[in-house]
Amino acid sequence: MQTTTPSNTIVERVAVDLGKYPPFDRLGADKNREIAASLLVEYHEEGEMLFRKGDELGGFSYMVMKGAVRLFDTIDGEEMLVDLCDEGDLFGVRAIFGTSTYLLSAQVVEESLLLAIPVETIKALVQSEPVVAAFFTGAIARSVQHIEHSLSEAIDLRKSGSDAGIRSLLANDALVVDQVRNVITCAPDIPIREAARIMSDNNIGSIIVASANRHPLGIITDTDLRKKVVAVAGPVNERPVSDIMTSPVYTITAGKTVADMMMLMVRAKLRHFCITEDGTANSPVTGIISEHDIVTSEGVNPAVLMKAITQSESVEQLVQEREKAEKLLRMYIAQEVAIHFITSIFTELNDALIVKAIEFSVADMKREGIELPAVEFCWLSLGSEGRKEQLLRTDQDNAILFRDPPDEVSRDSVQRAFLELGKRVSAILVACGFTPCPAEIMASNPDWCQPLSGWMSYFRKWIGTPEPKALMNSTIFFDFRPVFGSTSLALEMKREINAEIERGRGFLQFFAKNALQNPPPLGFFRNFLVEKSREHAHEFDIKARAMMPLSDAARVLACEFGVNDFLGTVERFRRIGQLLPSFRELSEEAAQAYEFLMRLRTERGLAENSSGRYIDPEHLNKMQRQELRNLFTTIGQIQSMLNLRYQLDYIRA
Amino acid sequence: MLEFARKMQVSRRCKKGLLPERVCRYVSLFDHPLRRDTPLDEVRFVIFDTETSGFDLASDRILSIGAVAMKGSKIDIADSFEVLLRQEAIGGKEAISVHGILKRELVEGLDEDEAICRFLDYLGNGVIVAHHADFDIGMVGKVLSRRYGMKLFNEALDTASFAKRLEKGPYYNLAHKSGEYRLDNLCARYGIRLHDRHTSSGDAYLTAQLFQRLLAVGRKAGIDTVGKLLLK
Repeated sequence: MQTTTPSNTIVERVAVDLGKYPPFDRLGADKNREIAASLLVEYHEEGEMLFRKGDELGGFSYMVMKGAVRLFDTIDGEEMLVDLCDEGDLFGVRAIFGTSTYLLSAQVVEESLLLAIPVETIKALVQSEPVVAAFFTGAIARSVQHIEHSLSEAIDLRKSGSDAGIRSLLANDALVVDQVRNVITCAPDIPIREAARIMSDNNIGSIIVASANRHPLGIITDTDLRKKVVAVAGPVNERPVSDIMTSPVYTITAGKTVADMMMLMVRAKLRHFCITEDGTANSPVTGIISEHDIVTSEGVNPAVLMKAITQSESVEQLVQEREKAEKLLRMYIAQEVAIHFITSIFTELNDALIVKAIEFSVADMKREGIELPAVEFCWLSLGSEGRKEQLLRTDQDNAILFRDPPDEVSRDSVQRAFLELGKRVSAILVACGFTPCPAEIMASNPDWCQPLSGWMSYFRKWIGTPEPKALMNSTIFFDFRPVFGSTSLALEMKREINAEIERGRGFLQFFAKNALQNPPPLGFFRNFLVEKSREHAHEFDIKARAMMPLSDAARVLACEFGVNDFLGTVERFRRIGQLLPSFRELSEEAAQAYEFLMRLRTERGLAENSSGRYIDPEHLNKMQRQELRNLFTTIGQIQSMLNLRYQLDYIRA
Repeated sequence: MLEFARKMQVSRRCKKGLLPERVCRYVSLFDHPLRRDTPLDEVRFVIFDTETSGFDLASDRILSIGAVAMKGSKIDIADSFEVLLRQEAIGGKEAISVHGILKRELVEGLDEDEAICRFLDYLGNGVIVAHHADFDIGMVGKVLSRRYGMKLFNEALDTASFAKRLEKGPYYNLAHKSGEYRLDNLCARYGIRLHDRHTSSGDAYLTAQLFQRLLAVGRKAGIDTVGKLLLK
């Protein structure tokens, strides 16, 4: 019956909608029109079932244009939410590659407009368009350039000697603050040439164009001169500046915090802000803030912060400085500074804070007549802090290790003194915002304030007679790192532990099995397994389901290779990649995945003022969702590698 | 009955070879009327809109026709239609500015005869859906009666009346508040993004999206067959 071609107007409209989302955003307009001409547009109301688990596969996959659709599995009669699809998400793709029935059910959760894409259309695309094929095989994330870029940047930093690099930055006092300056303005009718001369005479990168009563009209920057004058043919130098100025200029009131300015810069996507008396363009100019001023501001500069912490004279001052550090963290996250760099800075800052807390406590005790025994000791950070990954101020996990005193009697008094130290330091850390560990794994607990022999008897027990539950709770101890005191004592313990592991290889199997406690949700487009507990219903536990599987795996491998250095998860993966070349590629992927997760968690934690561990999939942007989905594949590969390496299938009960 | 008689008369003229074959093919599609108990999912709806040179059925002309079909509640983009007509006698200038159709485009359009035959080919025996359907059906009917002495035989539904019926019941008096059921206002009310307004295809696509939502509301009120939809 069809004797005419479809309506161009309607096809074009649908093609534009389709082309907004992956993988169609990578295709040309012609291709998208061709696809659009094969689609159906469906409208469904809340509650409608689109297909059910076990149904025969249909002839279409779907893209959500508006609304939301949930995909769920039914296990023993109970519904488990697997994915929540919203605008731009594809689902029902099993119909393309699958052979029998749907594995999940799809239900509309809010009224939805869907594009139904015929399976044949997609099959043809997978054949003809490499981009589409890549999308459907999940390889897209690896081609995302900016991730590779930030990675290579981080590697470069590392090569140049990471610690040295950061220390020199921290020690750099030259980062002086650029305070409010005398704003130089010009009239709108002066020639461009004249404005350029004023800028170059005063060595400034931008000039505010203002009216006679100094109300801002616009701004001219170096970029404007480059793009609108030099690059343009013909004599434009004599034209009035008002011809090329950017207008209006973004005006603000004075007294904005740096955190405010950071947010504003990111939001407004501007580099210059003009301060006026009342914050509008209808009052005189009083100042100008540029991106450069913001980034180099006092107080949110690691060098200044570090100095302030080490020179603090009271706990109150320490608390204040730690608050400032939070601003720095916000700024770094907003600016997408490489996560490796951020963690290094924050490990330094947190360590300095702990050292200062210990110094304060020792001094106080001395004043009260409690002398610290003349015994070699070491303050240990455990868990994420031990792995140098603590960006948000989550629980404190710490311990004290001391050299065994010669006899039983002095052992008791020595432990009492260190316990006192542990209590005081822990209290200061609480004041600085590090909440106490709910399981009381802190130096203030006698169990975790032990001589070397005490610690080794714990480790020998964990290693020699591993027992799943005890092992699960002991993992954070394997991440200990010396922060204050005798590093050689900590290193001695590390070597003894590694020797112990070497003796009883059965331990590694248990340890590896423990690392598989949290299998990530796997599979195609069904990668979100959200929590069922009431408090965090519909949220995804990024710590338990994504970060722990990786950090656990890295720990096991580091133990197997007897790595003696005190490393974080990312460093462990990279080290193992060097030691085990066949694993290099996967370990690099795992390292990147972990960095991505740390960033995501920190971002959420800062935004919600929480631990950041529960993520609402709806709060993720497209890129983040895609990245998360791809990263589960990596976790899956890491876990099967552990499975194979330690032959876990034999001991799986 | 009147409808039936009219149909018989046109069929007779077809047999005598007085009408073009394409027109007769269209007419023959109505030999078997649509059953009242046909489920809505099995119905082909054709949602269409015309642009005209003005609002006078007698003197104004069709400038373009845009349409998209729905299989049940699903809009089938492949089954859509768009045609521009070449009109020598163009009435008021206002319509031209509203629709943004340039004179040049009208010159490049198809002859009215060819355009209307293509539309009949496309339309088939689908159920016509249009916003303020009387006007658009009237405009097409005018062309058919002028050229072939016949009218459209399709079943038809007006989305404005259907919306009113679902929202207020069948006896609500629209006279003083007709603005409430303008396409723009209905789209806003049902959360449909406005695009390509005042092109016949654009309005047809918007009307189709509106009809999808109205069908969903109707389904809850038990409207699941052609008979219930058309109140027959």
